[in-house]
Amino acid sequence: MAIVKHEKTPARPAPLTERSVIGWMHRHLFSSVLNSILTIVTLYIVFITVRDLWVWGISDAVWIAESRRECFDINISGACWAGVLAWMDNIIYGRYPREELWRLNLGLIVLAIWMAPLWLPRVKAKILIGLSVVFLYPFMAGYLFAGGEKGIFMQIMLTAAILCLACNTLHSIIGVSGGGGLREFLFRLPVLKDAPEKSQRNILLCLFGVSFVAVFVWQIRWNLDGVPWTQWGGLFLTLVIAGVGIASALPGGIILALGRRSRLPVIRVLSTAFIELFRSVPLITVLFMATAMFPLFMPEGIVLNKLVQVIIAVCLFNACYMAETVRGGLQTIPKGQFEGAHTIGLGYWRTMGLIVMPQALKHMIPNIVGNFIGLLKDTTLVSIIGLFDILGMLRAVSVDGAWRGLHNEPLIFGATLFFLICFVMSKYSRRLEQKLSTDHKH
Amino acid sequence: MAANINSDKPVALKPVEKFDFFNDERVRSVFYQLLTLAFVGGFGWYLFTTTAHNLEVRGMGSGFGFLSVEAGFDPDFKLVAYQAGVGTYGDIFVIGILNTIYISFLSIIATTILGFSIGVLRLSSNWLVSRVALTYVEIFRNTPLLIQVVFWYIGIFSLLPKVKQSIDLSAGSEVVLLNNRGLYMPWPEPGDLLWLTGLALVVAITAVFFLRRWAHKRQDETGKIFPTLMPSIGLIVLLPVATYLMTGSPLGWDIPKLEGFNFVGGATLPPAFLALFVALTMYHAAQLAEAVRAGILSVGKGQKDAAMAIGLRPNRSMTLVVIPQAMPAIVPPMISLWMNVVKNSSLAIAIGYPDLVAVFMQTSLNQAGHAIEIVGMTMAFYMFVSLSISWLLNMYNKRVQLVER
Repeated sequence: MAIVKHEKTPARPAPLTERSVIGWMHRHLFSSVLNSILTIVTLYIVFITVRDLWVWGISDAVWIAESRRECFDINISGACWAGVLAWMDNIIYGRYPREELWRLNLGLIVLAIWMAPLWLPRVKAKILIGLSVVFLYPFMAGYLFAGGEKGIFMQIMLTAAILCLACNTLHSIIGVSGGGGLREFLFRLPVLKDAPEKSQRNILLCLFGVSFVAVFVWQIRWNLDGVPWTQWGGLFLTLVIAGVGIASALPGGIILALGRRSRLPVIRVLSTAFIELFRSVPLITVLFMATAMFPLFMPEGIVLNKLVQVIIAVCLFNACYMAETVRGGLQTIPKGQFEGAHTIGLGYWRTMGLIVMPQALKHMIPNIVGNFIGLLKDTTLVSIIGLFDILGMLRAVSVDGAWRGLHNEPLIFGATLFFLICFVMSKYSRRLEQKLSTDHKH
Repeated sequence: MAANINSDKPVALKPVEKFDFFNDERVRSVFYQLLTLAFVGGFGWYLFTTTAHNLEVRGMGSGFGFLSVEAGFDPDFKLVAYQAGVGTYGDIFVIGILNTIYISFLSIIATTILGFSIGVLRLSSNWLVSRVALTYVEIFRNTPLLIQVVFWYIGIFSLLPKVKQSIDLSAGSEVVLLNNRGLYMPWPEPGDLLWLTGLALVVAITAVFFLRRWAHKRQDETGKIFPTLMPSIGLIVLLPVATYLMTGSPLGWDIPKLEGFNFVGGATLPPAFLALFVALTMYHAAQLAEAVRAGILSVGKGQKDAAMAIGLRPNRSMTLVVIPQAMPAIVPPMISLWMNVVKNSSLAIAIGYPDLVAVFMQTSLNQAGHAIEIVGMTMAFYMFVSLSISWLLNMYNKRVQLVER
């Protein structure tokens, strides 16, 4: 007689040492004598550090005071955050006129509105939106921040920017609510739908022309007081320099990278030399070069201000780093893609623009974000040559009468601020990398 | 037609080549290259003429004659003899280069040791330890190096006790002292026969080299392992020590002594040096740790399993299987990190350590003018270092490729 068990034996739960908190601790903290000692020592060090930081930075810290002396009188063993709070406006906005601060905030809000569609689902033509941010937003922001007289070129670009922002927003709203895009929406209007094909285009052109003229006329009356660049400063200035740097580095980097991979020897050699020149020297030497040598390069009568010099230097420097990022992206594209493009008869520019770049850019996004983080951190160097960026402002706290000698608290605040920005961005880019790489696997 | 079909010869299908001047690829490529050359050349010519004109208008001289002009200032840290008022701008250039190389070299060594340690800790099976290492990496990677440099200088090394209350780092013997003027330590004073000890060391290292080669060869041929570690250490330590003692200990120490308000004698490292050294090391170690971690993780799990399957103990599987395969992934980023250490040492300017950029590109440029020459010389130095390091990297890559077959 065979002994046959008819019901399935249920799986026994794993032993207690494997599944509970105790099991986890056993495996990860106390798996051997050496490990246990390591854990206890580390725990002690972490405890001491966190406790001291807590006592200094939070529990003994002084938040409200008029001067550093008062901080000392209240509690000498804690941090004096009151000084940082008193200087907060300066750290963020620099010496920008206080009654004009709305312009900076508006600029930031406009940027947020402009870029928001990039993250919204169901919005089409994201590449175009991205390009419009890079090429048109700077003009709008430039006028908002600097103000003053606008030349005819600035007026046209400003009009284009406003119009583009309006179209973008409309487009995105239509897209999110499920109506496709602005184009589909317009063609669903009775006027366009019933019109013959030829006049459809004319109607659209007319619509565009009329709105352009309307916006143009409106912006003529829009006047902002000029704010000289010497009053720009703080985190705002850091972001402006880094923003311009990254926006111009991308096209510059693409051109340099294509040049470096070109089949034409002259172009290849020149691009390589340019890239390697700037990549092998420290940024500070490039900044010194800009301030010392650019004035000699200008024809008589033209004087570049220091901010422009710095921005040009940062752009040149960063374009070369971006070129290497782009080159890395281009190398991930298999040769078959180039050959396929050739086979269907595309020329060089179409191969690059339609086939290679769209794929390569997707691979490059995490590296571009990494590049931007690096640039943002490097931008603090402009304080060495006398611009009052965020680091310049943080160091200026200690020479202010009431807060004389307050060095550490502003620096730690600045470091924390940078840490938050960079950490969030790098985490986001890593997530993006994972998302894109899973997208790639079919 | 019929004749063609019947003939044995195949019909040569040669495409009709019509030379179209404007659409020919070769013509176009030459044209584009000439255009680029003309553009770059024109731009260069414009820069040259404008600069020459500007220099003339402002009455500024050019040429490298200024290098033999006396520089009226005295860098407060230097590795070679220099006298203010006598030393020239050429001397200043040399001092700057030596200072840059000095701090970069020490930081590179410290970065490599610290970076590898933290990278290994990041992979520790101990959860707490790996988390602490991760926290370290994230904090130091995500804050600007310049803020770190300034913080170490102002927040730590300038707040140390005064000279009278120096911190004694040598446990009571008062030979290594740290205070707000810097780090004071003994400096060796070589005697007459010290070169014999050096020679002994060289001999020992050569002997160890040949011993290891012989041991390898023997293992390849017979499979017998000859333990080389203990003999190697013995040779390298014992031989020089024996020589040193036999020649009568020909090495004196110049120990710092408190005289008046400061220490005299020994070697001194100013606070700016210490701050820059610590900041560079901590910042780049965090980045190296990530490279080390990525390199070790890039070795597939199967490799470790296979090593275990053929009976290698964990540490042998690490040294014989994992590390040799991880190194090709670790070394290239590590070498470019070394280059970054050299470049970032130029942040010295923010805290007054007299490196090349600070003494030459700032002080000398402000005093002597000659912007183009000075900027060119400084950049040429960094480019030279960069080229040397990429040469090193290429050598390594070539070797690795040969080993990989």
